[in-house]
Amino acid sequence: MIHQLVRKAFIFISLFFFFLFICCAPKEKWQTSTLIYFDTVCEVKLHCFPSEFNSYQKEVRRVFSEIEIHFSPGARDFSSPIVLSLYHKALNIYYDSNGCFDITIGSLSRIWGFLNKSFRIPSKEEIEVVLNFIGMDKIKEEEGVLILEPSIELDWGGIAKGLGIDLAHQSLKSMGIKRGFINAGGDLFCWGKNPENDTWKIGINHPRENSYIGILAISGVAAATTGDYQRFFKIDGIRYHHIFNPQTGYPAKGKQSVTVIGPKTLICDALSTALFVSENPEKILKKYPNYGAIIVDSEGKVFMFGREYLFRFI
Amino acid sequence: MDRRHFFKTALFAPLLSPFFVSFKSTKKASHLYLITDSPQRYISLILQELQRHGLIDGHNFTLLNSFSFFEDLKRTLHQEGWKHVQPPFHTNICFSLSRLYQKADPSFTLVKSGKILDIRSKELASLWLQMNRNNNPSSFLTIVSFKEAKTSVRSGKHVSVYKDGRKVDTIFLKKKTLRSYTTERGKVSVRVEDGKAWVSESSCSHKICCLSPPVFIAGERIICAPNHFLLEIEGSAFIDTSIG
Repeated sequence: MIHQLVRKAFIFISLFFFFLFICCAPKEKWQTSTLIYFDTVCEVKLHCFPSEFNSYQKEVRRVFSEIEIHFSPGARDFSSPIVLSLYHKALNIYYDSNGCFDITIGSLSRIWGFLNKSFRIPSKEEIEVVLNFIGMDKIKEEEGVLILEPSIELDWGGIAKGLGIDLAHQSLKSMGIKRGFINAGGDLFCWGKNPENDTWKIGINHPRENSYIGILAISGVAAATTGDYQRFFKIDGIRYHHIFNPQTGYPAKGKQSVTVIGPKTLICDALSTALFVSENPEKILKKYPNYGAIIVDSEGKVFMFGREYLFRFI
Repeated sequence: MDRRHFFKTALFAPLLSPFFVSFKSTKKASHLYLITDSPQRYISLILQELQRHGLIDGHNFTLLNSFSFFEDLKRTLHQEGWKHVQPPFHTNICFSLSRLYQKADPSFTLVKSGKILDIRSKELASLWLQMNRNNNPSSFLTIVSFKEAKTSVRSGKHVSVYKDGRKVDTIFLKKKTLRSYTTERGKVSVRVEDGKAWVSESSCSHKICCLSPPVFIAGERIICAPNHFLLEIEGSAFIDTSIG
């Protein structure tokens, strides 16, 4: 009789502690942080144990800082492996886009005043001079070092952020993060399921209105937008934006925004610029079968090309 | 098209999923699945008939993708008095076209609240026969969704103010207000007017918060990272984040 009571009490106490352990065990939660890198707001949302979030945040900071060191305007690192690797990727996209994506447009950004925010319209002569220093074919690579003429100024802005997000995502994934997103001012990678256990719902900002053109329902892919509304100035009612046509030296015409969706943020980032500049974006996109684009033309019409991802208009 | 044939065809259509996603929560949404290489030839008659049965309201339509022969479709609908509108305006009908992975017999099917309806009424019977008389298998599926293309965008009623991750204030969006908040790192002013909230002044160096457009949709936020300051429209968000 006593044995039975002791046994019951033992089972009861064991169950009590078991449930106590289950209830009190730390649970994974959604954690969000906002960082300032690449001159923009970066949002990181991860599903993880709260106690570990700091270490993930640190890792994202480490990756983004490294990218800033190597690829900020004026950086003169032409030999480190990360720079050479990104240079080769940029060169591929340069050739695939027939020069519409070009990292040598730094001097154009400078003469139009986008580097120090002293905006101005340069003279034709000035632009013609600067065009002589534009073109990735003018960069030579010798024994693992990029050789640039002194007048060539690199602008990694159209690709480096994408690389940063890809590296941060790979790092977080290897650390065990199964769900989350990194959104660095318009370039994004999301993976796993969202807090509603569904695909991530990503709003694409309307280029002219305070609303969205639509919502992407994606997971495990990246998306990047290039728009004429992100950095621009107006003189006499004419908008001059920061996405230059490397062939003319003037801001590219014909589109308000281009969003590219696909497996790599780096490619989405660079392609969104290339498609914005190109007069035949469909042709470029055909070389990237895993990528799709949503283009808003200068009249506000929306076109979709390439691989179809779930998208709904608002 | 019988039920089996419909589902077999649906499985081979790569673009169906956006529509299942977009209207999954609205049981009253209807979809017309039209298999033909020239939808412009048949669509007017079908739409007229559906209108007669009260299945369609309004005269606005949107084309969700840009196949070349959609221009012909647009022209046909214009001639019939339909008005093409671009997002983000509300439309009554959304057209989308997808290429079938394998050819199928020309046909049309209406799915309403998840159920397949027989729309081969007397008026449409001749059209059905005409489509099938050609008997040339078609490569394209046109999906017509009859529902306002409006999403669940919800304007919020309140904006919450957070300092260092702690909620310190809630402001009713309909009340014209200007409030200033002192954080450990600086000062931020918030203005509320016409149902929208924005940061009107901030002591931070970037001023990204001041340049952010006003927020008014549930879940939208303005962040001032240097001041550890956050504005958020209350209510469940319909998006997780935004780009662009």
